[in-house]
Amino acid sequence: MSTAMNFGSKSFTPRPPDKGAFPLDHLGECKGFKEKFMKCLRENSFENALCRQESKEYLECRMERQLMAKEPLEKLGFKDLIDEKSEAKLKTL
Amino acid sequence: MGLCGRGWRCFGVLRLPCVAAGSGPRLLCAWARGAGEPLARGGSACSQGPRAGAPHSQWAPRGPGAPGSAPRRRQAWPGLQQARGAARPNPFTRGQEQEWRRRNRTVLTYIAAAAVGMVGMSYAAVPLYRLYCQATGLGGSAVAGHDSDQIETMEPVKDGIIKVTFNADVHASLHWNFRPQQTEIYVVPGETALAFYKAKNSTDKPVIGISTYNVVPFEAGQYFNKIQCFCFEEQRLNPQEEVDMPVFFFIDPEFAEDPRMANVDLITLSYTFFEAKEGHVLPLPGYQ
Repeated sequence: MSTAMNFGSKSFTPRPPDKGAFPLDHLGECKGFKEKFMKCLRENSFENALCRQESKEYLECRMERQLMAKEPLEKLGFKDLIDEKSEAKLKTL
Repeated sequence: MGLCGRGWRCFGVLRLPCVAAGSGPRLLCAWARGAGEPLARGGSACSQGPRAGAPHSQWAPRGPGAPGSAPRRRQAWPGLQQARGAARPNPFTRGQEQEWRRRNRTVLTYIAAAAVGMVGMSYAAVPLYRLYCQATGLGGSAVAGHDSDQIETMEPVKDGIIKVTFNADVHASLHWNFRPQQTEIYVVPGETALAFYKAKNSTDKPVIGISTYNVVPFEAGQYFNKIQCFCFEEQRLNPQEEVDMPVFFFIDPEFAEDPRMANVDLITLSYTFFEAKEGHVLPLPGYQ
């Protein structure tokens, strides 16, 4: 598909991912979190916005088990979830 | 016009004098007469007038033969009739000849400079074009340089729901079961999303695969940013092993502001896996 040689249209150039590749989870350590996430997606008709908590948990699992470089979750776009959590914590305190 | 008559050959601005054997300009004259005409014909190269078939001497009248028209022209420029002889003693023509030579040299210098300039420009065009593409965003190159700070500060565009479908392909020689775990996912620009693929090595040998991806439509591909995925690096699967392969991506919030993307609400992400190991013996058909 990207072999079209017309000058007007733009062809696709793959870009490497920003943070590199995920190491493979050979031992299935985070499989449980993944299943939770997939279940959430199926229940919510595959809307990502409703399952962001589960995806955050999956990434946290990966970070704990050295399957992903540790990074503050705000940098991964979960700022709103963290703000919610801190607000909830403040409310309970 | 008179100058470009007998004894002179005209090539546009270059005036090339014809002199007899022994002096330099004769070579120019030989070249001027066109390739293939032997110099030895008829004595001095320029003794005769323009030949009937000579294409270059357009200014010279094409008469039935040189001798017939020679006397007339000889009278017009008496100084030139000595052109067929030895070096001209006439100072007037010498000065003219020098001036023409100087002019020729100037013209040739300009032409050579222009040629060198063209070659230089063609070399310079490569980085210049790249800069131009980056500035204007044509050619599909990365428009906005995105970095991790952008992810932190970007705001999801709430009403621009985009459906992202997933496709998985495998090269014919790679015996993996590779498929997406969800057929589609609904995201908005500016929101990070997670998607999973599953790959199973159905052979009894460890296999190393490497993948690449493609995004359709092409114009939307420049807004599709992957934070982390499993592509472009070798992934090794042990025999009969099955793993989950996540893709963590987001769609640039500028997608919502691009007028060309106004009608785009379906993006397809397609991954293809290839065999990576060199020297790996491909299984024969029938054995597996």
